[in-house]
Amino acid sequence: MSQTLQALVKKIFGDEKTKQQFLADPDSVLRQFTLTEPEKRAVLSTHARLGLATSGPQLEASLKAADPWWAPEP
Amino acid sequence: MGSRTLTSVHNLGMWQKRQAEQLREEIEAVLAALPNEASFHDLVKRPLTHAKRGLAADSTHNQPWALLPLLVCEAISGHYEQALPVAAAVQFLMAASDVFDDLEDADCPESLSARYGPAMAINTATALLSLAQRAEVRLEARGIDARIVVRAVDAVSSFCINACAGQHLDLSPDSSTSISEDTYLRMASLKSAWALECACYVGTLLATANEELIATFALFGRDLGIAVQIANDIHGIGSGNDIAKRKVTLPVIYALAQTDGDARGQLERAFLRQAEFVPDAQEVRDLLFRTGAMHYATVIMELYRQRAGDNLSRARQAGANVERLKLFLG
Repeated sequence: MSQTLQALVKKIFGDEKTKQQFLADPDSVLRQFTLTEPEKRAVLSTHARLGLATSGPQLEASLKAADPWWAPEP
Repeated sequence: MGSRTLTSVHNLGMWQKRQAEQLREEIEAVLAALPNEASFHDLVKRPLTHAKRGLAADSTHNQPWALLPLLVCEAISGHYEQALPVAAAVQFLMAASDVFDDLEDADCPESLSARYGPAMAINTATALLSLAQRAEVRLEARGIDARIVVRAVDAVSSFCINACAGQHLDLSPDSSTSISEDTYLRMASLKSAWALECACYVGTLLATANEELIATFALFGRDLGIAVQIANDIHGIGSGNDIAKRKVTLPVIYALAQTDGDARGQLERAFLRQAEFVPDAQEVRDLLFRTGAMHYATVIMELYRQRAGDNLSRARQAGANVERLKLFLG
């Protein structure tokens, strides 16, 4: 998987200024990284559907609300 | 049983119930060939009644995984009955896989191996594997060409061998300490996504000779399976179960690669199998959220889900009616 995608997530979670910028305008942060189109789509879609995953209850609640698919273990 | 064409996707409960009932009948027909030993019959049937397996009481939930071969077959040909034997076979194989997994992991007090011992569990799983083969043979009675039957049987066997290869990687002594993200994804593809990939592959094979479409649907199943595995990983960290088991999953791999200093030390202590150290699940969970590891796993899950969606779009462009399959994308 892309090292760039890892670097993007590390930057967002490791730098408060970047995090705020991402929350306000995700595209402006994405432009600083050379992601593939599917990676960009996945980042933006995750943000739109779930926001930033910052805590267990928040993530579980977001996944359940956004997605009846959240029923793992087929 | 006459052929049924696609009806309204909005009438979801009705078609799911109908297909689930027919799958149940197919599984029961195969089980009927078991020797008349009540306790053996009961033991073999039990793993099939677990949640999301073919004889589960709640088999008509939102994502009817057991029906996947039928839905793929129907999406292409408008009919699904010819896929019932392979849908049953996949259920027997998944049930056998559940029993073997429980034996290998030894972490489920409700498992057959925990309740009846490893010998009984191995015997039951072996019977389930043989029942899968008997289910596949029933394709012939559905009027499927013998060459297609052989190809379907061969494909199912190949996916099972892949699953064993993935399990081998997972059980290897150094898998918990030196696993890379690429290895993890390969393992997820082999060990976890095999059932959905297999279900889609054989479901398509029974509906068309279009090799491109067969490959497209197989990829749909594989990508969906990997997404589901990552969802399980996220859930495993959220619940604390995978932390307690020191299971190195995608969020942990990311965190180990992207952290240093105290955070890295904490992760190494928690996951690198120091038997005397009991990790604080809440602390580890917080760390995985703080470092973005959980968010990263969520993005990768989304990436695979979108890939699955792209494959469905390609199948639709090739003429398949994929409306019901969209259920699996959420």
